[in-house]
Amino acid sequence: MATILVHIALLAYTAGAAAFLTWLVRPSPGLVRAGRMLLLVGVVVHFAAFGVSLGVAGAGLGIKAWKGGELFSLLAAVTVTGYLLLDFRYELPVAGAFVGPFTVAVMVPAHLVHSNARVIAPEVSHSIALFVHVGAAAIGTAVLALSFGLSVLYLASERQMKEKRPGRLFARLPSLDLLDRAGYRLAVWGFVFLSLAIATGSLVSREVTGSPFPFPVAPKEGFAVLAWALFASLIQARLVAGWRGRRVAMLVVAGFVLLVGTYVGLLSAAPALRGTAA
Amino acid sequence: MTLLCVGLSHKQAPIAVRERIAVPAEQVEGRLRQLKSLPGVREAMLVSTCNRIEIFAVADSRDAGEDVLETLGPVAAPHAVRRFEEEALRHLFRVTASLDSMVVGEAQILGQVKEAAAVAQQAGALGPELAKVLARATTAAKRVRTETEIARGAVSVSSVAVQLAHKLLGSLDGRTVLLLGAGEMAQLAARELRSQGAHELLVANRSPQQAEELAREVGGVPVSLAELPALLVRADVAICSTGATEAVVTRELMARALKARRYRPIFLVDLTLPRNVEPSANELENVYVYDLDDLERVAVQNRDLRASQVARAEEIVEQELKAFLLASRERTAVPVLARLRAHAESVARAEVEKTLASLQGLDEKQQKTVRAMASAIVNKLLHTPTSRLRTEAGRGPLGEATAALFGLEAEPEQPGEQASSEQARAESAAEGAVLPLLRKR
Repeated sequence: MATILVHIALLAYTAGAAAFLTWLVRPSPGLVRAGRMLLLVGVVVHFAAFGVSLGVAGAGLGIKAWKGGELFSLLAAVTVTGYLLLDFRYELPVAGAFVGPFTVAVMVPAHLVHSNARVIAPEVSHSIALFVHVGAAAIGTAVLALSFGLSVLYLASERQMKEKRPGRLFARLPSLDLLDRAGYRLAVWGFVFLSLAIATGSLVSREVTGSPFPFPVAPKEGFAVLAWALFASLIQARLVAGWRGRRVAMLVVAGFVLLVGTYVGLLSAAPALRGTAA
Repeated sequence: MTLLCVGLSHKQAPIAVRERIAVPAEQVEGRLRQLKSLPGVREAMLVSTCNRIEIFAVADSRDAGEDVLETLGPVAAPHAVRRFEEEALRHLFRVTASLDSMVVGEAQILGQVKEAAAVAQQAGALGPELAKVLARATTAAKRVRTETEIARGAVSVSSVAVQLAHKLLGSLDGRTVLLLGAGEMAQLAARELRSQGAHELLVANRSPQQAEELAREVGGVPVSLAELPALLVRADVAICSTGATEAVVTRELMARALKARRYRPIFLVDLTLPRNVEPSANELENVYVYDLDDLERVAVQNRDLRASQVARAEEIVEQELKAFLLASRERTAVPVLARLRAHAESVARAEVEKTLASLQGLDEKQQKTVRAMASAIVNKLLHTPTSRLRTEAGRGPLGEATAALFGLEAEPEQPGEQASSEQARAESAAEGAVLPLLRKR
């Protein structure tokens, strides 16, 4: 049942992405409305699929194994939710043309490519800290992915403005001021959730290994702390020195790339969650 | 009835002619009443802008076109164009969608057509036919604006500057605009920025007296040019047009201001030659310098973009035009259908009642069955003619032939309450038969 729902969600995401991409070429308010509606349908069905999976697995915190695909699927759903909220606030259909294909690109390998189940260490299979850690990490990553998207759009738009050669898509992009403000606000929220994820992550680590900061530092933790430090510096620079625009956008891009490194580290070797199902 | 369009635009007549026949706003209502009083003219609307003077009218026949033309006077006659029916309709759709404008895609024409319609309504010259045409023309124009990029991108230097300011800063509410110098184009841009919500307009000039005069003219605040470093910290947009022979805003000056303004972006528009803003200031972060050439280049690019959208816009206009024509043809086919159905039903009803009266002993259920059979025969017999008439929708001879064949021509104008209520019932029955089929499509 859950698989069917996920496939329906994937279809809705794909159709939504197609609507937004078509809008880039042929602008029409109908396409934007259709894109939004399809993403909304997709995300509702997607969360329903998670609900069904949790119900089948015995509900709540007693999950004993996880798959990389599930993690990316959760990320995709949270990112689409974040986009819909962002679009509701700022009207950013152009970001839909970024989020739609991104979601499909994440969902297809997440659900169509087989991945081995990894066993969760028994010490933390009922841990609230682990639950909060996963939730905060997913929300933080989704919010920072949106910030990354807006920053990329900012850099593209700013370049055209500087070079005085507005391209075809220039007209569809919102103002630089809006991209800068929205991108920065998302970076701040992403930083808050990332901080929470790191703090709860260290609690999980202590429950499993006895130490909140196990040494040597694994790639996952290393990248997460580096990304956190970079976002912290970015916020500091904005607040104290008034940095904005291109510099901030580039830092957000760099921070998100580091965060992606965290997930690569997580999939290659996750100390707290290590193990492979038989 | 015929839709006609008589008049001229920038395409047919030079400004010297247009200005002689232009109708001042206060005289439009009077002119419309004059048009309405012409023989055969039922409805009229006058679109009078600086680029066109055109009369759209619904008349009994094409002959009214000459009378309408006469109202424009002898100066207009050699240049005026007469358009009828589909051609007139297409022209109105194209005009409203800004495809016939001097600057294709300009936004004002839609408002001007709506205004013309409002004035015509006020003068009692706008009737149901023109109203229907205008509603569809407006729909087509809106589709063209939203589904193509024909209206995107400013095409004049000052409006490009305003558009780029929006692109950089978003809303101009609460923003500060600095006007350096008194160039005409700079004043135009400053006024436009102010009208679009800029909070403060600072006017600086080498002569304080000139600054004060200019500030009064554009609704700004006079400031001294000696305060330029501080002004560059305050402003979000600076429009330079001082006539100085060397750069007034240097890279160094801007770099210092940038730090003090905590890297808030600034848009420097240089509208003079020699340039007032050092071009290398554009290399600074969050500083955007556009001179005349840059603005003109963007304007040309926007004009090219608009031109590339014309084919798609014409396609939309044609779609809407065809849909409108089809709908109106179907409307004209309905009366014949209504009369045919009413005739058939009344014949069937009369025969059934006669038969039932002669057949004694039929119970209610049996009588109902006989009536249903008669109704089914009528429906089956009329099915093919109804569908053919609807498909043809007034384009061919079938409508007239049907009316002649069944003797339906004389039916409509029946006096008396009973007759009109019967007719209304028959028409609604016919519509009931036709509308579901239309909805299905």
